[in-house]
Amino acid sequence: MSATTSIAVPRLPGADDLPPGHGVHEHRSRRRDRRTFWALAAPGLLGLAVTYLLPLLYMVRMAFNRGKPDGFIEQTFTLDTLIKPLTDSYYWKVTLDTFLMGLVVAAICVVISYPLALFLTRSTSRYKSLLIALAIAPLLTSAVVRTYGWMVILGGAGLVNSTLMHLGLVTVPLRLTNNMTGVVIGLVEIFMPYAILVMMSGFGRLDPRLEEAAASLGARPRAVFARITLPLTLPALLSAFLLIFVLSISSFITTNLLGGGAVHVLATEIYDQATGLLNWPFAAALSVILLVLFGVVIAIYQTVTRRLRLDA
Amino acid sequence: MKLSAARRRLMILATFAVAALALAGCGTSSPAPAKSAGDDLSGDLNLVAYASVWQEQFQKAVIDPFVKLHPGVTVHYLAKRSSAEMLSALQAEGATPTTDVAIMDQSVANAANAARIFQPFTTKDVPNLAHVQKQFLTPGNYGPVDMADAVALLYDKSVFSKAPTSWNTYWDKKYSGRVAMVDPPSALGIDLTAIVSTMQGEDYHTSIDKAIARLKDLAPSVQSWLPNPDEYQTIITGQTVLSIGQNGRGQYYADQSGGKLGLVIPKEGTAYQLNTVNLRKDAPHEKVAKAFIDYSLSPAAQRAFAAALFYAPSIDNADLPAEVQKRVVRTDGSVKVVDLDPTFVASIRDQWTDRWKREVIGG
Repeated sequence: MSATTSIAVPRLPGADDLPPGHGVHEHRSRRRDRRTFWALAAPGLLGLAVTYLLPLLYMVRMAFNRGKPDGFIEQTFTLDTLIKPLTDSYYWKVTLDTFLMGLVVAAICVVISYPLALFLTRSTSRYKSLLIALAIAPLLTSAVVRTYGWMVILGGAGLVNSTLMHLGLVTVPLRLTNNMTGVVIGLVEIFMPYAILVMMSGFGRLDPRLEEAAASLGARPRAVFARITLPLTLPALLSAFLLIFVLSISSFITTNLLGGGAVHVLATEIYDQATGLLNWPFAAALSVILLVLFGVVIAIYQTVTRRLRLDA
Repeated sequence: MKLSAARRRLMILATFAVAALALAGCGTSSPAPAKSAGDDLSGDLNLVAYASVWQEQFQKAVIDPFVKLHPGVTVHYLAKRSSAEMLSALQAEGATPTTDVAIMDQSVANAANAARIFQPFTTKDVPNLAHVQKQFLTPGNYGPVDMADAVALLYDKSVFSKAPTSWNTYWDKKYSGRVAMVDPPSALGIDLTAIVSTMQGEDYHTSIDKAIARLKDLAPSVQSWLPNPDEYQTIITGQTVLSIGQNGRGQYYADQSGGKLGLVIPKEGTAYQLNTVNLRKDAPHEKVAKAFIDYSLSPAAQRAFAAALFYAPSIDNADLPAEVQKRVVRTDGSVKVVDLDPTFVASIRDQWTDRWKREVIGG
């Protein structure tokens, strides 16, 4: 009996009330649980290793090779390929532009999607399901199709310019495509449904009784929003921001089509190097930079959310 | 009634007669299509070549007649958007290739030849090689030029009452914001760089500084460096009025544009865009591959593809009809052509691309 109770197993409060021998059972149960966990997780982890980890390692290894002008790869181990973009002001500018594009798209997406998500979460309308379906309906259409749609809408003779010219607001069509403006507009529209979905799933934390209590104690709507609603919805808002930022900086199709070759960000550079110049090592080096950028942003996100949790 | 019965008998008799003839026909030799040297040819052929309209027209003009000639052959077409993508696919095959034949840009093929991705062949295996014009043969007996095209200036006929005659039209402020450009590493961008360099009086083999400065002047007028869906459609749909393009595809789309799209080879000259037909080293279906290459260099195939997509034949005995001949690029030396050696192009593609990005577009 004493042998069984002396086993160093973390004890739950009130464990003394449990029947004798319970510690051993708990230990065995935990071991069994761990085995079950690994058995269940193994297929997924194996799939992830084959489809994600191995290609990732291959890509990182590729970044240490050297690309030749004729499109062939010199198998070697050099830091030159990785150092080149880090010592070249052009690639610093490309990286900065990528980062800024991600920030702007994520910020606009979150600002526009936030009230929509809040409204959809709180709605008690019988049409709530329909409204939610409408908000995420764009996801049913391919991003390529939507991008081509934006090319038509924003083009020189498109809906926006035709309307502005018809109203006499402009005399020459505005350049809304083949530049960063077009890319941002396209990406915001394409990623908005994701932002709405992420925020709606996170807004479950928001208990309306807290807002009612604050209002009943005399807080004005603005104060209720600033001191109750926003702080409680901030984690979901940050999650949405992170997701859209990551999707934006890695987006290629919309950036390429609406950028018209004039927008150079990491994704378009990687594509050009990999498929146009066949410089796979340099494309891999740029991909590593993009990966590091992801890592930095995720680290910042985790720090911020941890602090928010501590504050809460 | 009598007449009707007689007619019925006649019809029955005729039916039997037709059936008898049909059965008899099965036992005798039917009029077979003219067969090539490989009468017993059968098996698969894996071909890597260009996508979209090129694929459609090549299928109709060359592949379908080849398969008709050799019903036992099945052609598997792997379409790629560019020669670089083709090279990438060939490299990925490694030591166990699945591709038999690749049709790609000469400069990219040149690099593949140097890397022994392709193998040489002679007239012994490909008799029609004897008719390939000398200027279109590849050193070392590697795949020769299969078809020739050239860079052209595309324009909107509804905007230009007279066809432009010079590349300088690109810099005319009247068309600012309505011109499209295709930047390197696309062959069109590389070719234009060499053409502008020559126009500026410099030797692009040693420097393109003046060309870059001139192109930089053009940059603010450019609506797109990546016309979508392509440089031809943007003019047809009225998005742009001027662009660089290929003569062959331009001629093809001009016919479909209802008189909207026009194209010209400007007085300052053009650059050839040459496609070579290449035999993969260790091709799994080498016999079929050689027969296919031979057929693609035959007068019938070259004539058919010239009529379909207006590429100039590379052989000397194609004898094109006059209406086709005047629309394909001339290869007899009567057009001013900027000479772009494929080895040179392969060596500068990345540098020129870099300069366009930094100084022309990004500048």
